Formats: sequence, C-alpha cells, structure tokens
Amino acid sequence: MAVPSSERPIRLLLTDGSLERSRLTVFFRLILVIPHVIWLVLWGIATFFVSFVLWLAVLINREAPRSLHDFVAGYLRYATHVGAYILLAADPYPGFRGRPGYPVDLEIDPPVEQSRWSGFFRLFLALPALILAAALGGGLAFSSPGGASSATTEENAIYVATIGGVASIVAFFAWFAILARGREPRGFRDLTAFALSYSAQAWGYLLLLTPRYPTSDPALAEPWSGLPEHPVRIAVTGGLEHSRLTVFFRLLLAIPHLIWLLLWGVAVFFALVAAWFAALVTGRVPMALHRFLAAYLRYGVHVSAYVYLVGRRFPGFTGRAGSYDVDPEIDPPAPQNRWKTLFRFFLAVPALFVAGALGGVLLVVAFFGWWYALVTGRMPEGFRNLGASCLRYSTQTYAYFLLLTDRYPFASPILHGRREDVVEEIAAPPLGDAL
Amino acid sequence: MDVDAVFGAAQVARTERFERFHYVLWVLSQIALFAVLAIYARRGVAFVRESAAGPIGTGMLLGMLGIAIAWLVRIPFRVVAHWWNRRYDQTDLDYLEWIAEDWAILAAGFVSLCLALLVVMGLARWLGEWWWLPGAGVFVGIAALFTFAFPYLDFGTTQPLEAPALVAAADEYERELGLPDISLRVEEVSDYTDSANAYAVGFGPSRRVVFWDTLLMEPFSEDEQKSILGHELAHHAKRHLAKGLAWFVIFAVPGAWILMRATRGRGGMGRAEAVPLALIVVAVFQLAAAPAQNAISRRMEAEADWTTLELARDPDALEGVMVDLSRSSLGDPDPPGWVQLVLGTHPALADRVAMAEAWATREP
Repeated sequence: MAVPSSERPIRLLLTDGSLERSRLTVFFRLILVIPHVIWLVLWGIATFFVSFVLWLAVLINREAPRSLHDFVAGYLRYATHVGAYILLAADPYPGFRGRPGYPVDLEIDPPVEQSRWSGFFRLFLALPALILAAALGGGLAFSSPGGASSATTEENAIYVATIGGVASIVAFFAWFAILARGREPRGFRDLTAFALSYSAQAWGYLLLLTPRYPTSDPALAEPWSGLPEHPVRIAVTGGLEHSRLTVFFRLLLAIPHLIWLLLWGVAVFFALVAAWFAALVTGRVPMALHRFLAAYLRYGVHVSAYVYLVGRRFPGFTGRAGSYDVDPEIDPPAPQNRWKTLFRFFLAVPALFVAGALGGVLLVVAFFGWWYALVTGRMPEGFRNLGASCLRYSTQTYAYFLLLTDRYPFASPILHGRREDVVEEIAAPPLGDAL
Repeated sequence: MDVDAVFGAAQVARTERFERFHYVLWVLSQIALFAVLAIYARRGVAFVRESAAGPIGTGMLLGMLGIAIAWLVRIPFRVVAHWWNRRYDQTDLDYLEWIAEDWAILAAGFVSLCLALLVVMGLARWLGEWWWLPGAGVFVGIAALFTFAFPYLDFGTTQPLEAPALVAAADEYERELGLPDISLRVEEVSDYTDSANAYAVGFGPSRRVVFWDTLLMEPFSEDEQKSILGHELAHHAKRHLAKGLAWFVIFAVPGAWILMRATRGRGGMGRAEAVPLALIVVAVFQLAAAPAQNAISRRMEAEADWTTLELARDPDALEGVMVDLSRSSLGDPDPPGWVQLVLGTHPALADRVAMAEAWATREP
C-alpha cells in the first residue's frame, strides 16, 4: 500500500493551482534566474560544510541539531523554489531566503533520531535515489564536471539547473507552449512538480534531514494532480512478488517476445499507413485496423512491463485485452480531427521526446528494481508504480502516434484518482499537452 | 603404432593431462545436468503461475527456465574449464569476454528452443498424439534449411582465402572430385586462441570450406594445409552434410515418438506442463544416441581422410597435420574408449596417423 504523501517527512506543497504564466518572464527565464544560481552556489558551499558537521552530529548524537537542520532545510526549500522557477512549474520570482510561501514549496519535518550506520553510509545508500532523481531531472543535478560519483565536491552545485532528465525535456516544450498560449499544460506542471518532489526527498535523505528513504510512488502527486478522462488508460493489477529466477533471466526470457514484436511491427507499419489514409478520408480509423493496432500496442506494453519488471508474469503473444498485470485499456474508434491526422507524426514529436525521457526513468527503475527484486523477491511498490506511470504516458503517446486516438497524451504522473475540478480544468484546452 | 614415437612422449603426456581434466569436468557436469533436469521435471510445473501467456507461450517460458537453471548449475564447471583452457593457452578470452559469449550462446539457445516448442506444441495441439510424425519432418526441414543457410549467416566473420597455393590446389582437387568451384573462406580466431580447425558447411550453392586463420600459420606447412583442404572438400564431394541430414531423419523420428510417449502422462506435448519433463527426455535421448551419432561422424571423417590421401598422395602431410593438431589444440592422440564412444566425433589422432601409414604401405 502506498504511503500517503502527508506521512512523508519531506513533502511538496503546491499552493497555487494557476497555470497562467507571464510570457515575458518565461521568455527570459534562464537569464532572470542567474542571480539565484549564483546565490544557490554560494549557499551550497556553506551547506556542504554545515552538512558535514551535521553528519558528525548524527554519528555522535544520532540526531541533527535543530539549527543545522533548519539551515540545510532552508537551502533545500530555496533550491526547490529556484528549480520550480527554472523548470516553469511556478511563475513568481522566488525570494532569496527560501522562506515558506512560494507556490511550489517544501514542508520538512523537524529532526528525528537516526541510525548511526545509516548515517555513516548515507552517501552510498542515497546513490540509487540520486540517480533516479537525475533521470527525473527535478532541478537536482549531477551537473558539475565532477560527475555523479563525487557528490561531496558537487554539493556547491546542488540545484543548479540540470541538463537532461524528464523535467528538463518537459520544461523545454513547456517554454514553447507558454509563449504560444500564456499558460503551462497541466500535465507538464504536475510531472515537473513530481520530479521536484522526488528530488527534494532524495537530497533531503542525503543531507541527513530525514532517515526515511525517498519513495518514487506517483501517488505522492495525488494531492495536487489529476487525470482527465482519456481514451487510453492503464490498469495495474498484479502483485509485487517476483520469482528470483525469472528476474535474473528477465532480458533473455523476453527475447522471443522481442522477435515477435519486431515481426508484428512490420505488419503494423502497413496497417498504420492504411489507417492514416482511412482516417484522412473518412475521419475515423476502421474498426478492424483499430483492433489490430490496439492489440499491437497492448502487446508492446505487456512486453515492456515484463522487461522493465513493472509486470510480474510472462506475457502472452497476442496482446489480448485484460490478459496481463499491466494492461492498457483502449476505447473503440472515435471520429478524429482530420487536421490532427494529417500532421499526426509531427504533432507526436514532443510527446515522443517526453516518452523517451520517461524511458530513461524506466531504465533506472528497472536497473535498481532488478537488484532489489533479486535479493528480496519483491519489487518496491514505488518503483513499480513509477514504472507503470512511465508506461502509461508511453502508451498514450504511441496510441496517439498509431492513430488509436486524437487525444494528446497527458503527462501527469499519477496512475489513478482524480478530482472533479481538476478534470474540468484539464478538459478545457482542446490539445491537452499539445503545443 | 607407437604413439609416443609419433607425437612425442612429453606432448602425449601434456595432452593427456589437459584432456583428462576435461573428461572429469564433463562427467561431473553431466551428473549435475541430469540431476537438475530431474528435479525440474518434477517441480518445474510450479512456474506455470509465472505466466500470463497461453499454453504454448507458457511452454516456452518453462522450457527457457529449464535451460536457464541447467545453465546456472553448470556455470562452475564451465568457469573451471575456461580457467583450465587459459592455463594451457587454448583461449585468450578474459573472463568478462567469456561471460558475454556464454550469455549470447544461452540467448541463441532460448531462441532455438522457443522455435522448437512452437513447432512441437503447435502440432501437438492440432494433431494430438500424431504430432511426432510431421514434427520430425518439420525438424528435418529446419535442419536442412539451417545447413543450407548457415554459410550466409557468418555476419562478416569470414574473409575469402587468398593464399595462391591453396587456391590452386583447390582448383585441382575440385576438378578431380567433380566439384564445382567451392568458396574458400578464412575465419580470424587467432586473437583469442591458438587452437586450429577447419570445416565444410552448406550444400548446393551455399557450399563452403572455412579455415581458422590459425591453420594458415606455423606450425602448419603448406602441404599440411593442402591435406586439410582435401579433407574438407572430400566432405562436400562425398555429400556428408546431406548424408548427415538423412541420418538425422533416422534419429528424429524415433526421438519424436519417444518424446510423445514419455509426455503422455502430463497430457502430451500440447500442454505446457509436459515441457519440464520433455527437457530431460530430450537430454537422455541425446546422450543415448551420442555413441551411434559419433560412430557415423567418425566414419565420415575417416572417409574424408582417405579421400585426401588419394588426392594429395602425401601421407606425411596428413600425419604432420595430426601431430600439429595435437600440439596446437592439445587433442589427446589416443583417448580412452569411453571418451571416443560418447564424445568422439572424429577418429582418434593416432588412428588417423595409422590410416596415413596404412595408405603409404599400400601405395608406396
């Protein structure tokens, strides 16, 4: 069962639901943020020394002194503000003191007792979380020339804007979207906020603000995120237990599926061309072609889920609906806008980029999940759900690409649960996350 | 024949030491293999719950897992064997390269197994207990296709042979044997082994002779290389690959029938639950058939040796080849009888030398 975000010691607060953005400040965002970056680096240098003292304090006393804890927490909060500003998840220019009240803010619990062993090895223990945070790109970074392995020397570069990662890709496309429409797509904002939330947990763990390991469960985003109605959804039903043997040989076991996927893909290419012409002429994809393409997409998701350890069992070869633990639900064919059909392959490009970046996250999840499952025989729920979330977005992207729907994929990380007000707000823009 | 006099006493002792270790490893590895397959035949059915696929897909999973477990259990033996080969300069592959190669072999094994199960289970679900008859036919067809296509699947690992003397000898031998122009290729292996080998592949237009580049170096003389060339061309001239396929039919039909009978208790090969049992049945059948298959293979190799003697008329060269093979590949000139029975695809080196000497005596 996922832990509610309110029970986490480091929580992201999204106090301003507005998606309106000033085009002027967005256009110059990277320049405007320069003073913050300088200040962040200076504060980061101080934080490095303070966190070293804090580390010694934890080793001796098992608990961080309140003053040091607040200093580092203030830095983390400020870094989150700056990260949100750079990544376009928030619009107001942040203050320089990291005070509470920014639209994308952090709530950090007071210091608690920590295990000395966990404190001593914190840098190593935090590495998987930091790598996942880098893949999510939530404003944290292995952006210094020292690279990921030298976290101690790069703490002065913490929270400098990242190059790469999901949030950066999303921010890149959001920049164009905002300049065009004056507001940020909701899914993009939610995904960035989730990335910031996870990164804050990861760095809070490294900097000894909490002994609780970060959770990557997208359920964290549920308080401030939502899912609109979409013709393509994903159902996750399987358990978390895995056979160690099938985990160890997972990639090799998938080889027959990968070969079959490749062969089936050849037929799909021709079906897609036929579907494209049919949709252009008649305004909808014929039922037989829709079923064929949907089965292929479903099968691809089953296989991906199996390979990336999101799914537990060996999938079937037919892509039958409801046959797998992680199963796409695809609505029957509906009328499609001919203009969107005509330019479908160009319109899909941004979503394909985001899906590609989420593929990187999926890879990290699978890598660490593989080791974890090999030892414990179980996949962490947070990893499984984050993997499923990445697959959901990819499924919607490829459904859009394969003409199964003309609804653009929605980037919010959550898997289920939505608020009605969110639904209404999201349903309004005709292109969803599209530019 | 005095083996020590021909091959050198020290060399014979060295090859015996090298091979004896491999024999022991082979026996232990086989014991481990059959033990684990026996356990898997009883308990492997539990893995059905790991599959969301239909019967054939689940059968594939159970088959792959069985092979995977067998692979895991034999890893220690293979690691030790690799260490031993490195110690005797039979390979320069480091352990990481070796592991990568081993994984690739396992992956290829998975693909072959899945293809075989697709055929067998598909036919069994369609034809019931009579699957074995067309099933054997399909396997022979696949084997024939593979034999034909294999030369085209070298993925750039071979180059045309350019040694003028060998090319000229090939023309002459082909004329004498009534063969068309056969493609001669060289495979580069000298980067990771000192072992030497050559082989004939394909039939019809895909026929080729492939030399390892180690055969084209010292200590193999030009006459010895010609002798090997004659041997490989003889395989094509005597249609040994086609005859091998014909023999395969003789083994495949009863093999498929035995498999059908053995898995009847598990509902037949149409059911995934039969696959773990099928694995051990196939393994036992292969081991039981090995002496007969090896005897056939040895007969063909002896015929090729005789043909090259008739072609090159140079028994000293053939004898030299055997002595050099013993040095470069550390082949035991006179292995124990049981080893020849279960592993000997070629006549013992000593027997091949004896044949060369017999030919020389007959035709001085």
